[in-house]
Amino acid sequence: MKKTVFGGLCAILLGCTSTFVQAETLRLANHGQAGIDAMKSTVERIEKKLGVTIEVVEYPAPDKDYLSKLLTELGAGNAPDLFSMPSTAAVADMVEAGYLAPITSEINAWEGYKNFYDVAKKLAVSPDGETYVMPYMLGIQEIYYRKDVLEKAGISTEQPKTWDDLLARAEEIKTKTGAYGLLFPAGVSWGSGAFDEGFQHLIVGSKTPQIVTEDGKLDLNGEGVRDVFDVYKTLIDKDLMPVQPLLGPEPWVIPKYEQFPAGKLVATTCGSWCYIFDWGRESKNPIPDVTKVVGTWTVPGQTGGQFVLANLAAPWAVNAKSANVELAKKALLEIGSVETQVSYAARIGNIPSSKDAAGDPEFQKLTELVPIHAAAENGTFLKQAAGFGTVAEGVARATDALLRKEVDAAGAQKILVDYVKETLGDDMVK
Amino acid sequence: MAKTLQERRAERQLMIVLLPSLLLLVAFVIYPAIYSVYLSFTNEALTGAAARAPRLIGSRNYMRLFGDAKFWNALFVTFVFVLGSAIIGQFVLGLVSALALRRRLVFRSLFSSIILLPNAAPEVVAGFMWISMLAGGDHATLSRIVSFFGLPTADWLQVFPLTMIIVVNTWRGIATAMILLTAGLSTIPQEIYEAARMDGATPAQMFRRITVPLMMPTILLYMLISTVSTIAVFGLVYALTRGGPGGATELISIYIYNQSFTAYQLGYGAAVAVITLLVSLVLGIAYVRAAKVEI
Repeated sequence: MKKTVFGGLCAILLGCTSTFVQAETLRLANHGQAGIDAMKSTVERIEKKLGVTIEVVEYPAPDKDYLSKLLTELGAGNAPDLFSMPSTAAVADMVEAGYLAPITSEINAWEGYKNFYDVAKKLAVSPDGETYVMPYMLGIQEIYYRKDVLEKAGISTEQPKTWDDLLARAEEIKTKTGAYGLLFPAGVSWGSGAFDEGFQHLIVGSKTPQIVTEDGKLDLNGEGVRDVFDVYKTLIDKDLMPVQPLLGPEPWVIPKYEQFPAGKLVATTCGSWCYIFDWGRESKNPIPDVTKVVGTWTVPGQTGGQFVLANLAAPWAVNAKSANVELAKKALLEIGSVETQVSYAARIGNIPSSKDAAGDPEFQKLTELVPIHAAAENGTFLKQAAGFGTVAEGVARATDALLRKEVDAAGAQKILVDYVKETLGDDMVK
Repeated sequence: MAKTLQERRAERQLMIVLLPSLLLLVAFVIYPAIYSVYLSFTNEALTGAAARAPRLIGSRNYMRLFGDAKFWNALFVTFVFVLGSAIIGQFVLGLVSALALRRRLVFRSLFSSIILLPNAAPEVVAGFMWISMLAGGDHATLSRIVSFFGLPTADWLQVFPLTMIIVVNTWRGIATAMILLTAGLSTIPQEIYEAARMDGATPAQMFRRITVPLMMPTILLYMLISTVSTIAVFGLVYALTRGGPGGATELISIYIYNQSFTAYQLGYGAAVAVITLLVSLVLGIAYVRAAKVEI
């Protein structure tokens, strides 16, 4: 009897003790299987180092649906402690909404941040001067083209120097090979990609290369915006880019995963991830010897200059309403480690923001990405502002109308301006 | 007259039994509806400055709505969609199916199973299934059928988007119409038809003079249910077209979603939802009044 009572008391004591020493839990939002796999070792490392339990919450894969769900939860106050954002364009608005905890002092004091590329640091700074996101990965984008197809058809592989030069090359491709000459992502179905992977490439090299004024207003009535839409219009009217697949529900599948590998689409804007995820080692339809067969051009400016676009790729942030903001910030710094950067690079193909990645043996194995990483500092970007998420949706709607041949360039610009005015108010647009 | 103790106890028991349902209704229907009305007078948003500090803006959302061409387009698209798929498509095919199933058919069970089958597939699955049938390119089912007859193929959801969603929603709703109308048909006594037959009435006359008038309460009930539920259709059409191309299939439900969760303007989205609620309410009252018509 005494033994039973003693045993019972021990069990109660053990239960109480284990409750007291039970690790705190951080909830972490992730979406897409590749992203979840890339974070696996980081999650284990954070748990071990900080003595916490990490609960990974899987969200819907399409970026648009992911962002809607995340914003709804942030608004309701029950979002995870840490989350990534699918588009840089969403960050400024989320800062304005008060969803993100500032990490300026923590990230600047963190040893690992000193070796981040300046372009990543600049992209991470919000319009209010604070840093709210961990800019651990960069999306370095330019034009990817089928070198083998061009050489076989006797078409120059030289870097195009202006927009006219680029369009002439696309036309030559169409004439000599019958394949589509150039793709800029467009349309509503592509979501923020129409802005992030299409419109931005051209606007940075246009006559009005920035769309944010000094007082934070959106300058969308500029000549550059109309000229960018005119490039789309030319590509669509001359049948130089595939249109029908872009109007379907998963517009990237046919052009990126089928037509480009088959040589039926010869050039497209893309990021370094195309060498890994779309056509490389992680692809379901890989192109053999992808770096030899697929070459890159920088995006030429309207009348000259060369532009390589730099974006933050899925930057992570801390929920300002997290029950344990300080702990979440520590976990965020772990996500910024070189090890996590390399893990993401290997599975998705984005570029590590830390210069230290160059010395990592695992990263050295990613031979497709090493030269892009070395040149990452040269990236160009748009100055961020609140309302960019709305501009991205407006660009998607404007390019959708172009795809359906309902408007000309001026009409597309009007759709963009009207949408942004309707959503944000007349006074937000210059 | 004063209520007896027994009556008062019965009333109390009734209240206790109804209370859980009442609470659920208040929590999940009445309160959200009232809150939506409140939201519609604010600039509440899911992101940006308005998410941090929403404020009351009076009737600005409603003023904007009445001048918003896309809202009127969404209302028009919804009207055509309800008329085409619920009032004409589902009703006519549902009635034909119900009448057919009253007869002694050889494959009656098989026929009724086929009609019920669309309801077995979840709406998003059904949507994706129809995408594979209606997509552009030579491999899509409909394109293969028309090319077999030497006709030109098309990307049907792009070229005839509204017609296609009407067809798909009709396909999905025939079973509900059939079940309700079969129930209505079964209430008509066979003796009336026999008497009419003895008086020399033709089948067409019997249908017009007996079946339709006696089924009128059921028909109006079906119209009420199908109209209101078709106004609220979202998943099937969203999976098929996401409201595109260019708003051609942007039903009012998709418009509300786009305003609330794509543009993140909850206040404006709520204003559209309130107007939609009023439209449904007016239609509901009209049907209920019509259902009281004497035969």
